[in-house]
Amino acid sequence: MRDGLISLGRRLLARRGAALSLAFLALVALAAAFAGLLPLDPLGQSVADALKPPSSESWFGTDELGRDILARVVYGARTSLVTAFGAVLTAALVGVPVGLVAGFYGGWRDSLLMRCIDVLLALPNILFAMALIAVLGRSQSAALIAVGVAGIPGFARIARAQVMTLRSLDFVTAVRGFGGKPGYIMFRTILPNALSPLVVQAIVLASIAILLEAALAFLGVGVPPPTPSWGEMLRTGKSYLYEAPSYAVLPGLVLTLTILSFDTIGRALTAILDRDETDASGATIGGRR
Amino acid sequence: MTKLSRRRFCITGLALAGAAPFAAALPAAAQTLKGGTLRVGVLYELANYDPQQLSTVNFHVIKNLYDSLIEYTPEGKPEPSLATNWTIAPDKTSVTLTLREGVSFHSGNPFKADSVLATLQKGADPKRGKNVFSTMAIVKDWSAPDERTVTINFKAPVPDRQILDLLQFLIPIDPKGIDTVETVPAGTGAYTLVSRAVGQGLTLKANPKYWREKQPLAQDLVFTVFSEDAAASAALESGAVDIVYNGSSRSAVRLKDAGFQVFSGPGQLVQVFRINSTRGPFRNKSFRQAFNYLMDRASILRVGYAGMGKVVALPWAPASPAFDESYTRTYAYDLDKAKKLIAASGLSADAMKGWKILVDGSNEASVTISQVVQGSLAKVGIPVELDMRQGAEYVTALLGGDFDATFGAVGNVQKFPTRVTTNSIYRTAGNPILKDPHPHPDYVAAIARVDGAAGGEAEVKAAYDNLNRVLVDEAFGIPTNSYDVGLIVASEKIGGVTLDIDNLFVARTIGFK
Repeated sequence: MRDGLISLGRRLLARRGAALSLAFLALVALAAAFAGLLPLDPLGQSVADALKPPSSESWFGTDELGRDILARVVYGARTSLVTAFGAVLTAALVGVPVGLVAGFYGGWRDSLLMRCIDVLLALPNILFAMALIAVLGRSQSAALIAVGVAGIPGFARIARAQVMTLRSLDFVTAVRGFGGKPGYIMFRTILPNALSPLVVQAIVLASIAILLEAALAFLGVGVPPPTPSWGEMLRTGKSYLYEAPSYAVLPGLVLTLTILSFDTIGRALTAILDRDETDASGATIGGRR
Repeated sequence: MTKLSRRRFCITGLALAGAAPFAAALPAAAQTLKGGTLRVGVLYELANYDPQQLSTVNFHVIKNLYDSLIEYTPEGKPEPSLATNWTIAPDKTSVTLTLREGVSFHSGNPFKADSVLATLQKGADPKRGKNVFSTMAIVKDWSAPDERTVTINFKAPVPDRQILDLLQFLIPIDPKGIDTVETVPAGTGAYTLVSRAVGQGLTLKANPKYWREKQPLAQDLVFTVFSEDAAASAALESGAVDIVYNGSSRSAVRLKDAGFQVFSGPGQLVQVFRINSTRGPFRNKSFRQAFNYLMDRASILRVGYAGMGKVVALPWAPASPAFDESYTRTYAYDLDKAKKLIAASGLSADAMKGWKILVDGSNEASVTISQVVQGSLAKVGIPVELDMRQGAEYVTALLGGDFDATFGAVGNVQKFPTRVTTNSIYRTAGNPILKDPHPHPDYVAAIARVDGAAGGEAEVKAAYDNLNRVLVDEAFGIPTNSYDVGLIVASEKIGGVTLDIDNLFVARTIGFK
């Protein structure tokens, strides 16, 4: 598996777009992780220096309370990445087992679980997230859960589709024949063989989660101030477009590039894994590539 | 200290009683103005047409659909309106009004004493009186000896200014339309309703039978509702509207620099950091008093209101007779003094934490100034979170008293000082935040003393001074700054803008140059 991951990484890096995206995400992740070591203060107010344009002291200017915009963007990465990671984890931890059970057993269990998923799918993500935040209150945990719940249907449907494809294959039948219990078959036999599309889904959901978190913040229901958040900065920056046109530039740029990077990596992975699948099918059925 | 002006008001009122029927005559400058269609951008959707439910959301229509019994000039002098004369009894226990002749409601019904009686009846009704109800607390009863005369009797001697405030606040409603006034306007105003598209706008047209000579100037008045301040400003700059009413101070400053006219009236609001003294550490008086010094008022005024206003430590606008500048200097931002008071409170570090500042998430100024306070608290070692709520959720928490501390503006701060009790945090009875019995009896007594100070100037001054001292001592409301509400930003082709004492929008004198 380790060799497989290394091979996958190499093939990703061989694609220029994916390599650049990985590099950018690594930079954002490092900045978020080690922001405390940088000489940046995202909360220090200096109203006398409010809405200053970019300068040697503040490379991207200051906000309405005189806080350094660069510092807030760097610390804002923590908000976005933690929300994205937490949302993906929440969605996967709920969605994957639901999809596995529904696909493995079929019948009434499948109908019941999938109708629940259909209900979730029928609700617009942003509205559902806002309703959930209205109930849970405005906090990073609430935003994380709201975005995560919105991601459950994607994982559930992909997991179910994978199980339905794999459950009748020989290696699964063999495990069943050796007395493998349903839990073992689902989580130890089928799941490892269904990981590829789920990994892609996780990356795609990460980009959606960052966008959704920013959208919630932009609408005023995201992480409460003074915690820095890219969406919140865009929201406030919009109000100061006349006085400080540069205010929203950096958070907007970083947000766009981060989402674009996740999306690029997701597409590259899909392409690589699709090719592997095609190769594997060709080798099995046709006996040649 | 501001000079008291009760006698001046009384004398002025009596002098004006014999004035010409149209005392609010057309300004000379307005004679050269032309009519037309006046297009006004507003930022609030109208709630209803009831003049007794006055709030910023209907500021733009009330003085165009209705007239008050009397008006104030921007300087605070009373002027005749639907009442041409008012005589305050020597013992100050009653006032007798003479009503204007030749006035009719939009329905065609003549304006007579019965409409004033119906309006008083509604105002005194706890369910229907809305904003007027608390003001009616001083009124004992009323009578109409004839169609043109109304006498209002008071429960006890009432200061002249308080009587005049009541008359200015009373807006006669057509008795035949009083039960449906929330949905159908029933006034005598310069404009009548043509149509309304909820969420989009409102169209009014000139009242052909209006009693003020040669008014209104503009034949049509079209209000467009904008959800964004920036969109309203852009509409003004592009020429899509002629006026933006009640926009933000920040936009007004920018537009003024761009050559637009900005009119700010005397009816300012005062921003107050409201403290729920029935909860947690706020039960401790020393802890509350620390907030007098924790407010970085200059920063709050700058970031929240573009510097338009004045820093204040008392809940009075500079035009209020109780305004006292010395308090602003005494209670200036001083973290060291705040720390001493916090230490004197004897509260542990844990006891001082765990509370939140309720914030109106849809109000940009509220979010920003709350962060200023949050920053000051962090500097004295008290980390607090912001409890962000949106729209109706915030208003429910604010008016229901479901908060630890929050910013909220108070109105009526340029009028008789006890009118401050119309604001929820300053209510002396039935206070939704502090509950009954009122936890600050000294404050209740100070208000009662001002209400009862109908004697000489020295007595009144002593009552005001006592109230001011009690307000900062009890410290359940920490005023930070006055600021403009109802700002009018107009293109240069507009003239004849009338400033209202409450900053309501008065369109009847506005025309095109």
